[in-house]
Amino acid sequence: MPDHFAVPEPDEAVKLALRRVRETTAVGGGSDMEGLEFNEVVVNMGPQHPSTHGVLRLVVTLDGELVKDVIPVIGYLHRCKEKLAEKRTYYQYIPIVDRTEYLASMNCEWGYVMTVEKLMGIRPTRRAEFIRVIVGELMRIASHQVAVGTFVADLSPLGTAMVFYMFRDRELILDLLEEVSGARMMFNYLRFGGVRYDLPAGWVDKCRELMKRMPKLIDEYEALVDDNAIFLQRTQGKGVITQQDIVDYGITGPNARASGVPLDLRRTRPYSVYPELDFEVCTAAHGDVFDRYRVRMDEMRESVKIVEQCLDMLPRGRVQLGSLRAPYVITPPPGSCYVGQENPRGEYGTYIVSDGSRYPYRLKFRDPCFCNLQLFPKLLSGNKIADAVAISGSIDLVLGGIDR
Amino acid sequence: MTLEIGTVDLTMDEIAGRLAAAFPVELSAVSVQEPDTVVAHLERTRLKDVARRLKELPQLAYETLNWIAGVDLGAQLESVYHVYSWRTNTYLELHVTVPRAKAELDTVTDVWPAADWHEREAWDMMGIRYLGHPDLRRILLKDDFVGHPLRKDYVDLAENHPHA
Repeated sequence: MPDHFAVPEPDEAVKLALRRVRETTAVGGGSDMEGLEFNEVVVNMGPQHPSTHGVLRLVVTLDGELVKDVIPVIGYLHRCKEKLAEKRTYYQYIPIVDRTEYLASMNCEWGYVMTVEKLMGIRPTRRAEFIRVIVGELMRIASHQVAVGTFVADLSPLGTAMVFYMFRDRELILDLLEEVSGARMMFNYLRFGGVRYDLPAGWVDKCRELMKRMPKLIDEYEALVDDNAIFLQRTQGKGVITQQDIVDYGITGPNARASGVPLDLRRTRPYSVYPELDFEVCTAAHGDVFDRYRVRMDEMRESVKIVEQCLDMLPRGRVQLGSLRAPYVITPPPGSCYVGQENPRGEYGTYIVSDGSRYPYRLKFRDPCFCNLQLFPKLLSGNKIADAVAISGSIDLVLGGIDR
Repeated sequence: MTLEIGTVDLTMDEIAGRLAAAFPVELSAVSVQEPDTVVAHLERTRLKDVARRLKELPQLAYETLNWIAGVDLGAQLESVYHVYSWRTNTYLELHVTVPRAKAELDTVTDVWPAADWHEREAWDMMGIRYLGHPDLRRILLKDDFVGHPLRKDYVDLAENHPHA
């Protein structure tokens, strides 16, 4: 009969945390009490913890309520995506890309498709470029809604209202995307040289109508928390990311922009039709939890502006190169290339090595959350455990992308 | 400290020229990949030295490591470093090869702190051992996993993942 009370052997991450406790605190040797006599406790948080938004596991060393050390443990959602690519044709791999950073699947597809297009030396049709920007920016709004909504819910039970508001309105956007692609979240919509389907009849008007409502909805979100004393107290001045951190760890996206770095690949490494569009790169000055929240709210407004412009400028024409029955087997010439693009969470890039065959020889994703998570030990240490939850919420991680 | 992007205005050919001049022996096959990347091959014994100097190179200053990828080339394994220069707003892609039989490279974690997890991933997936890395554990796979699955000769056996 199995012994249900047996204590499992700690794994490498826990052992490392215990070792660090002994090294930093012990005067004259370690302890068999696993650090307990030094007032420090090693606590395992996750991978099934509601505030980690997925299967992130943090091995946290606590001294009372103070976080002394954090060791992130990842890989619980590892689905061998990079290996799978080596056994799939380029077309077959598009739906798998959807499932990496699943809250921004349209943007992920876009990054992958752009890389293959660059390898092959083709450019999508002009109408398809605009459609890509429209769906990409809609996705960005939906993604920020999840990010901010769940983050505010983490702060306090009262914040749950924010989740309901955000998810209610996110569904309107997902409805639009579903009408375009046929799927609610895993779209499989982009194709090399274009997009799978043209916009359905009447879609442009529906989208325009929603974009007209959107600023009012965003006002509503802001009214919920922006002047709330408790919210401000818990977010301002907490979890500051310095510009040195950004340089050292390759932090990108809203997390970098909240620290005053105007790093936005839509502007600094322009792709698609972004150079023709008028929008601001949203930044903030302090780099704390509150600023990261602010930047996301501002970006939602900018995305609305971008979608509206694209709807006005949308040219007529085809949405794919060649016929809709395009060859399903493509063979890019041998070589390698990397294309990074601005996902809602930062620089999402795809590096592909082609050997001229039907399958990618090697495919690698550069995921923004993977790089941002690396800062956690530095960012969380020295904070109260409750603030650590707020800070980790404000970084906005998606484990599907981190673990791949 | 205020980070500014793209303050130094150099064409890609000028940047490639400067890199080739600064590292005449170390870098080979320096070429430009449009629109904003310089690709070069680097001799593996000089990696750390070159990394340190790249970070401090006047005007170029490749300060941020973007990612590292391990690639299986057959007889050799390759470690690809993608670094970013804020001042010129351009990228440098460094290809470093190691023999398959002795897949060892110096770590660059002390030059670019971001390398920590990227090197762990390349070790986990491709089996490139980064010497001097402070904590070279597996990152995506379990601690007791056997083998490096992104190598082309990897065969998936039940005994490779005992606790699956």
